[in-house]
Amino acid sequence: MSLYRKSSIFPGPASGVKVSDEIHKAYTDIKKSKKYRYIIFHIKDDKEICIETYGDRDATYDDYLQHLSNVGPEQCRYGLYDFEYEHACQGTSDTKKQKLFLMSWCPDTAKIKKKMLYSSSFDALKHALEGVGKYIQATDMAEASYECVLEKCRSTDRS
Amino acid sequence: MSGGVYGGDEVGALVFDPGHSSLRVGYAGEDSPKFDIPSWVGVLEDQETNEKKYYIDTVALHVPRKGCEVVNYMKEGMIEDWDTFEKVLDYSYEKCIKSEAQYHPVLFSEATWNVRGKRERLCELVFEKYQVPAFFLVKSAVLAAFANGRSTGLVLDSGATHTSAIPVHDGYVLQHAIVKSPLGGDFLLNQANNFLKESGVDIVPSYMVADKQSVKEGDRPKWTKKNNLVEVTPSWHNYMKREVVRDFQQTLLHCSEAPYDEDAVMGIPTEPYEFPSGYNNEYGLERYRITESLFDPSYIKGVGSTMLGMSHVVSTSIGLCDIDLRPSLYSSVIVTGGNSLLNGYVERLNRDLSSRTPPNMRFKLISSTGTTERRFGSWIGGSILASLGSFQQMWISKQEYDESGKSQVERKCP
Repeated sequence: MSLYRKSSIFPGPASGVKVSDEIHKAYTDIKKSKKYRYIIFHIKDDKEICIETYGDRDATYDDYLQHLSNVGPEQCRYGLYDFEYEHACQGTSDTKKQKLFLMSWCPDTAKIKKKMLYSSSFDALKHALEGVGKYIQATDMAEASYECVLEKCRSTDRS
Repeated sequence: MSGGVYGGDEVGALVFDPGHSSLRVGYAGEDSPKFDIPSWVGVLEDQETNEKKYYIDTVALHVPRKGCEVVNYMKEGMIEDWDTFEKVLDYSYEKCIKSEAQYHPVLFSEATWNVRGKRERLCELVFEKYQVPAFFLVKSAVLAAFANGRSTGLVLDSGATHTSAIPVHDGYVLQHAIVKSPLGGDFLLNQANNFLKESGVDIVPSYMVADKQSVKEGDRPKWTKKNNLVEVTPSWHNYMKREVVRDFQQTLLHCSEAPYDEDAVMGIPTEPYEFPSGYNNEYGLERYRITESLFDPSYIKGVGSTMLGMSHVVSTSIGLCDIDLRPSLYSSVIVTGGNSLLNGYVERLNRDLSSRTPPNMRFKLISSTGTTERRFGSWIGGSILASLGSFQQMWISKQEYDESGKSQVERKCP
């Protein structure tokens, strides 16, 4: 995943937070079976990354953002979203593209301990979910907005 | 007691954050370090017995003593003088923490470019001499990034001896892209010192002053010297002089919001400042001109502008990183370090960097608003990390050290 990792035997500097087993199944559900639109994770008891909620297949991006803002300005979350957008390759008409992205949501207003916990555990979740197209760090609503995410998803597409 | 505003868990771990100007010490889980011990130490060598006496911490250090030299045990952000450093650790356990080392796990922060030999030596020292139950070493830039809610970002650490830009990706430092510039707090202090010398201000450290009278601004100071002064060493005298200039620097200096423009700055009201000797004057233009060299090194007198200014350090470092990473680095530039507390520093940096950011990338500057958070950024990061319940399995335990030796530190602490 990262070209820069010195060696794979290094454990993360990370917090030691574990990823719960239910996540693997849910990940296949969203990636292969397309059962959900999004999944939101949280860290339970400061120890384990668990699933907090699922978004139905017909849920929109606004529902997802709504959920993030509902958890309150002092809370952090991770979100996995199956993002669909139109994309035109040169000389072709618009085609639908799908990309999974994993977002770490650490608002600036969150307690420093929460931010620390979530940002230092993000790597563990990344490793558990192999094959995610984009990683996004968001610290305010502007960074989590549809436009911003769309831009990030498109940035690596060929035109 | 645990607690503090961040609500840490109680583990009784200690966090040490050694820097060039001071060593920060405190309990994990608290919101700021309990002790801030200067890295400058007074050493008095007995001529006959060759025994050294150490004077540690501000109060002991500031007492004039005959033949007492001032040394700093740090060099380029790494521990250099281990004997003195041990004395400071002894001091912090005996006088500050007031507890036995063997009861507390210890987390150390380190400079990003710390070398293997020094990491292992520190590991050996804490386990062998202090018999700590557990130990961990984390790069200070990573701690600062985590404390700001980022696992990827560019950490701009402006400290005493230098300013460095350190790209962090997924909690790992990209060693090849670190850019360092010697423009830091000490550099500014020298600039301020030069300026005062040129304008004919005689800097008198407060230890010499017995009495002073108020004089008109710009007039020769009227002060009387203490009459029982002992003969001090030049290094100690200079240290005390620097303390005076440091105060001048911290209270008066200000970064200009836009690139320095004499006409614009002319309009800003001057500020009075009084030195320990009673000399006082109004300072206006100079407050802005001195700091300008941080951002535009062509203002540095005498030397060519080969050094990198603040925004240049950032953009050079990002330029050395993989092209796919650059947008995420530009969108989280994290400012930390004591020198960033300079008035107007963040605003100016924000302006300079916004214009340097490529148009297709978003730029965001992240800086804690509180002075403690910024000054002790990496200590606070260490404090939280060490107090996380889930972190407790990450420590290098005494048992592991006994079994596998000091090389554990390379294996467990990235």
